[in-house]
Parts: sequence; C-alpha cells; structure tokens
Amino acid sequence: MHTRVVRLVFLSLAVLLPVAAFAQVTVTLPDTSQTTTLTANVTEQATVTVPATVAFTVNNVSASTNSASQSVTTSNVVLVDAKSLKISLQANAANFTAPAGGGTTWAASDVTWNAATWSNSGVGATGTLSNLAFNTVATCAANTSCSTTNLLFTLGAKSTVARAGAHTLVVTWKFESI
Amino acid sequence: MRFRILCAVAAVAVVVCHPSTAFALKFSSSFESIHLDARRGDTQTRSFTLTIAKEEHATRFRSKIEDWWTTEDGKQSFYRPVGTVARSCGKWVTINPVEAIVQPGGTLEVRVTISVPRDAATGGYWSVLTVDELPPPGPRAGVAMQFLASISVGIFVNVDPVIRSARIDGVRLAGDEAAVRVRNTGNAPLSVEGRFEFLRKGQQQPVATLKLPKTTLVLDPAPVRLISAKLPAAAALPSGHYLVRAILDVGLDHYIGAQKEMDIRREQPARAPVR
Repeated sequence: MHTRVVRLVFLSLAVLLPVAAFAQVTVTLPDTSQTTTLTANVTEQATVTVPATVAFTVNNVSASTNSASQSVTTSNVVLVDAKSLKISLQANAANFTAPAGGGTTWAASDVTWNAATWSNSGVGATGTLSNLAFNTVATCAANTSCSTTNLLFTLGAKSTVARAGAHTLVVTWKFESI
Repeated sequence: MRFRILCAVAAVAVVVCHPSTAFALKFSSSFESIHLDARRGDTQTRSFTLTIAKEEHATRFRSKIEDWWTTEDGKQSFYRPVGTVARSCGKWVTINPVEAIVQPGGTLEVRVTISVPRDAATGGYWSVLTVDELPPPGPRAGVAMQFLASISVGIFVNVDPVIRSARIDGVRLAGDEAAVRVRNTGNAPLSVEGRFEFLRKGQQQPVATLKLPKTTLVLDPAPVRLISAKLPAAAALPSGHYLVRAILDVGLDHYIGAQKEMDIRREQPARAPVR
C-alpha cells in the first residue's frame, strides 16, 4: 500500500513538472552591458589628537603667563563637499579650583588663545575661554590633515592670587561638523 | 640589575606623575549627522562609532542627547539640556550604551534609537548626540588645564509635511570677507550651501566666484545665520565696482538669491622704498 502511494506521488510530479517549465515569462533585461557598479559609501569621519593637559608655570601672578606651544592634529578629515570640522573649547566651570585653603583663583575667562597657524585649509581664531559656550579655535575643511603646533594659551595676570599649589580647570575640546 | 629596574621604574613614575606632562588623546570618530524622514509612530535605529588609538590608555566615555544651536556668526556653539529648544527631538531619542570604557584600539558603538510620537506635529526637529570623554581619577598639581574631548553629531528628524523656506536678509562685504545673512522662514532646519558671484556691469560671466561653507540653519533660538567666506585673492578679484550676487541652495526646487552693486577695495601690497 505504502509503495503505491509513493509511486502515485512520483507520477504526479512527472505530470506537473512540464507544466511548471512552460509557465515562463519573457522579460527585458534592464542592462545588457554586463557591468557592475561598485559603490563605496564613505561616511564623514576624522581622526583627532588633542593634548590632555596644559600647565602654566606662574612665577609672577601680576603678569600674564603663556603655556608652551600646543599641538592639535586632525587627520583623514572626510566630510561632504563644503562642510567643515569645527574645533572649539569650553570650560567645565566658571573658575579654576583653588588649592587647599581656598582663596582667589583665576576665572575661566582669564584664559585666552592665539589664532594659531593650521596646516592645509585650517583657519585659526583667537578666543577667550567661557563656561557657557564653545568658542571656536579652528575650522578645518575636508583634507588629509589639518594641524597646528603653535597654539598658545595665556593665563591672565591675577595679583590677588595668594595661594600656591594646584589651581586646576577642566576644559573640553569639542569636535563638530553639524 | 636591580638598580637598572629601579631607575626604569622611577623614570616611568616621573613621566606619569609630572603635572606638566601632556598626554594626548587620539581617536577616530564618525561625524555623520543622522537624518531621518519619518512618519508618526516610526522607530528607527542608527549608530555612531568612535575608535581610540592602539597606543592610548583605556578611556571612559559618556553619551548624551542635547539641544544645540550657534550664534549668528557660527563662532560660538551652545549645548543645553533636551527641551531647551522648542523643536527638539531629544525626548524621542534613546541611546545605548550611555557609558562605556573603551580599551586601546577598541571601538565604542552607540546605538541611537529615534521613536517619533504618534501625536508629533509636522515639521523638522533636531538635537545632537554628544559623546564625552570622562576625566581619569586623580588629583592634579600646579596651575593647569586638564583637557577632555567631546564629539557631537546632529540628529535631524523631519515629519511630513515639511515646509522648507528661507529668505536672504542682506549681502555685505567687510574687510576681506563677503557674507550673506539668511533667515529660516520654514518649519524645519535647512542645509544651506551656495556661492557669491562678482560681476562687472553689463557682463554675464562673473569675474570671480566664491564658494560658501555648507551651513545648517536651524529655527528658534537661532533662525538667522551669517554665512561668510574670504574674498578671492586681489589678482582674481581686483578693486572695482561689482554686482555682487549671492546664490543659495536651501533644498528647494529652485535657488534663492540676492544681488547688490558694491565697491570692492583691495589692499595693495606695500611697495619697497625707492633709493
């Protein structure tokens, strides 16, 4: 009985298969050139290197103090046409944190920077540190690299500072291309 | 041998602990804004990636959604809590992970999920994804600034129908820069690009053209942007009377433009004294 059923199934398939072969539709191929387009979808990207700390050697609180020259590097800056990568700075607090014992310390706004020279199409801008807004340090166009080695920070004179030790401020580098 | 090891350990300790040592942070990041044309009730997920260099130390990052805008001249950027901007989409966005430690050579992937509410009003909305480096623990010595890195990418969501509309408020020359003042009069952020053309009277072909940087023009609180660019060199655009034409592409099926006759005075390089 089982054998009969199997035979019946094979018979059905044999009958139906030719029917399936006849049910074809002629279509026009959209492209007969036999080429394949390869598309690399490149996202906007960049590699950046920023200093982690900048020290001011303050030997005279009544005079302004320059930092050593700082390096900031962006490389492999890949952006859509005419867009730029903006580099800016904002202090995380209104004032430096004074050392033990407290007393007067510097305000974030006592820190300024120069319009450094940036390689390739980078444009440096002078600025004053703020804890309310990110102020522009430089703008970079799409390029292999956009870097500086002569960014200089200046800490203003503050003759009312009377406590030696660690006066520190956390500052954020912002990278945006919005 | 012990003495050598001790010397090496001491040298490393001095380098690590010295307050003025400026360790750099090096990383590669995506800067692609997220653009979404969505319907009410839609949910979509995108991702952001950041890879720190192999030579770096393990670094902790925290991600958040913020509202963002700039001053009219674009020189200052403001980042504020979600809801500060009326057309913020920040409340529709969830991120995962919020905080993570990235090992040297490792990659942070932040998934950004945007769920448009069923009752969202039509128009465009925006916010930003910010990924902040968190400070390593430990006290600092001396007078110093400790730097942290932060990356922000835009999130733009359009809920149809979107009205794209802009108006040029003015064209001006100042120093060696040309600028066009443009106002967003629609209901969605606009991507603005364009150029200046400098034409002599009666001529059809410009003497010089000046490409403008691509700029995002949001709505309140910053619906106006002054888009500027440095004039071409004096050899390409000498002093003279010009018809200055600003042509902007704001994503419509036509350009918008404004033109004005202006005198351009270029500074001549100082001549060497005659002996």
